[in-house]
Amino acid sequence: MKTKMLVCFALLIACGFGLFVFADDHEEEEMNKLVFSKETYKIMKVNNGGKISGVVKFEGEVPEKKKLAINKDPAVCGVVDKFDESLVVGENMALKNTIVYLMDVKQGKDFDKDAKVELDQKECRFNPHVQIIPVGTALTVLNNDKATHNVHIFGTSKNGTSINKQQTRNRKRMKLAAAKGPEGPVEVKCDIHGWMKAWVAYVPHPYFAVTNEKGEFTLEDVPPGDYKLGYWHEVCGNNNKEPVVVTVAAGGEVKQDFTLKIKK
Amino acid sequence: MRTSIFVLSIIIFLLFSVISISYAQDAPEVSEQGKEVYEESCAHCHGVEGRGDGSAAENLLPRPRDFTRGLYKIRSTESGQLPTDKDLFDIITIGMPGSSMPGWETSLSADDRWEVVSYIKTFYEGFKENETPPKQISLDGKIPYSEESVEIGKFFYTQFACFECHGNAGRGDGTSAPTLQDEWGFKSWPANLTENWNFRGGSSTEDIYKRFIGGIAGSAMPMFEDASFGLSVEQAQRYAQLENKVEMTDAEDEEFNQLDENMGNAYDILDMMTEGIANDEQKQKHAEAMKVFQEKSWHIANYVKSLAPEKRPEPAIGKNVLRSQYTVDTLPTIDDAVWDTLEASYFPLVGQIIVEPRQFNPTIDSVNVKSFYNDTEVAFLFIWDDRTNNTEEQETEDFGKTFVDAIAIQFPVKVPQDPTAPKPYFLWGGKKAVYLWQWKASAVNSVTELTAKGITNAEIQEVQGDIQAESKYTDGQYRLWVKRALKTDDKKDLQIEQGVFVPIAFSVWDGANGDIDTKRVISSWYSFVLEPVPSSRRFIYPPLVALLSLGILVGLRGFVQRRNT
Repeated sequence: MKTKMLVCFALLIACGFGLFVFADDHEEEEMNKLVFSKETYKIMKVNNGGKISGVVKFEGEVPEKKKLAINKDPAVCGVVDKFDESLVVGENMALKNTIVYLMDVKQGKDFDKDAKVELDQKECRFNPHVQIIPVGTALTVLNNDKATHNVHIFGTSKNGTSINKQQTRNRKRMKLAAAKGPEGPVEVKCDIHGWMKAWVAYVPHPYFAVTNEKGEFTLEDVPPGDYKLGYWHEVCGNNNKEPVVVTVAAGGEVKQDFTLKIKK
Repeated sequence: MRTSIFVLSIIIFLLFSVISISYAQDAPEVSEQGKEVYEESCAHCHGVEGRGDGSAAENLLPRPRDFTRGLYKIRSTESGQLPTDKDLFDIITIGMPGSSMPGWETSLSADDRWEVVSYIKTFYEGFKENETPPKQISLDGKIPYSEESVEIGKFFYTQFACFECHGNAGRGDGTSAPTLQDEWGFKSWPANLTENWNFRGGSSTEDIYKRFIGGIAGSAMPMFEDASFGLSVEQAQRYAQLENKVEMTDAEDEEFNQLDENMGNAYDILDMMTEGIANDEQKQKHAEAMKVFQEKSWHIANYVKSLAPEKRPEPAIGKNVLRSQYTVDTLPTIDDAVWDTLEASYFPLVGQIIVEPRQFNPTIDSVNVKSFYNDTEVAFLFIWDDRTNNTEEQETEDFGKTFVDAIAIQFPVKVPQDPTAPKPYFLWGGKKAVYLWQWKASAVNSVTELTAKGITNAEIQEVQGDIQAESKYTDGQYRLWVKRALKTDDKKDLQIEQGVFVPIAFSVWDGANGDIDTKRVISSWYSFVLEPVPSSRRFIYPPLVALLSLGILVGLRGFVQRRNT
């Protein structure tokens, strides 16, 4: 009798545990390209913060530069040759357009409120190719062409980032509604000129950088502590599963380079 | 002891339960009935997990919707918004014309359809989080259909750059059409606005207006915020007129700059509205400009409506059968205006899905045919829409290989004695042979005579008869003109006699859609007839009767007059 009771209780506990595990499974988050902390980011004044910098390099055979076929509006779009920008490798194998960021920062500085958040369309090319946009900030899209474009962002209705808005040649500037939550990077495309592609990431904190032509990135005013350092690149993928852990000391500088290969 | 274990167990159980329930709150409630119906009727295409990747998905274009991203094409709501439940219910009920999505009105009860609506909403968390209902597109200020509105709509069709994708004549043949993809990277064609029975979300002016204002989520079709915001219809027309002027007078220059400035200011206010920082005065101005934008949009909707016939044409059977018209003159050439006097017969086409390789996703709706004949010859005009003019095989990086556009017109070699007698197998014959005219976009002014005894068993005839052909491709439409003698000496040819119904069928290839060999669109057998020559007696008897009546009347009058005197 006693044994039976015990078995019953054990089963009861097992059921409860099962429920818990099941619920946890269900909660599993959709795979983002970047890792965003679940906790709300807290803004604080950072005194004597540290600095994380480094160079992102490419490893492997660099594919030949691919010239884009311009099949529309040659007078506007065909003046300057355009090339595929999904993999831009510079001198010393420097990899441009890689996002490097802190995955698990919980508090720190505010965004630079004076920074212009703009996506330019000139000669039927988006510039920049990869860009980070603070959550809650409206992106301004410029049209410097005597041509009609449509700004098509492959986002979600949940965050208000599912956007496909026409921008006629009469409209020089156009604001896009700010994202309600972190997301991305998501693709931006002009369907009218099918070769025009870019990426935007809506980010919850300012510790994000995009590498320049020399593959360099810098994250400044980082509060001292241990952080997971992540990256994302359009064709080289991310390190969500094995981020690099860096320790930032007050006023110190951490160097961390990355070498990326084309994602199989 | 026993009690304490029991209590402890209960506490632990409750603890787990509470935790699991609190977690489970994120997971939307699952409708069991909806799940059952979904898995039975929807999952084959849309996938068990709603990712649009069911077992049949690979063969379908447009692809079945992926429900996990919350992007729905056909909505009554504004751009970027989720659809209403009613939107989803309507699509399930009516289906999506021109795609593989059927209507379920007759096969699922209304209750089942509503349950499916709640079930598919569980695939996207955004439905759960959305506390405020999605913003619906206002249908206020509708402008009734009129020639004048259509004319204004045509102007704005150009101003809003609709032609970039939909083409100058609206046949979905714009210069951006070949490179369009949806957000999942699948090929997507802009709608052919002249065939509105294929519009996924319906063809009423309101439907068109909603697609225009709200865009088609996940596709290339954007939302619009006016091409001349803040300018009235007349001002927008004036602006375009001045912009196109090579030289402007000082006064015109000033006028243009003023309009340009007004427009710039209106757009600035629009941006402030987007950012939520407009003041009351600006809000007022914005509301006024929006009203004008809506007016322009209704004109465009009316114009798009005007591009298609009232209803999908009736197929060429019964009273609509193709009747070749007799003329005593020489037969008209391809550009002769006399063709416009004839109404075309409409032959709907479907994908060939009997023989591999098959065409599950046809891009060509139909072929329209007109014909004249005289004492010795017959001329046909075959007209069909094709968004791209493919004259040679090409390897494209994004869309694979494209092939040459083509059409084949099929007749039996021997015309059955009476209409009920068996015809050759409709797919290019079998035991009974068929006679074919094949035309390809790679050789625009010739047709080749073939004899076929099966879809993969066709031969070019050794003796090629004297057939004249000429073709043109304009604004997304092919016109092929073919002229041949009614009678030939070749036993393999069709011999055409007046008043006899001749079976006719079609195969059409859209090279950009991967059509080649058996992959094509086809029709079943229809027929055409050389309309018997109207009897010349109709020109003799009626006047004769009239003369006779007149004579009798005159005589009668004389008789009466004489009797009275």
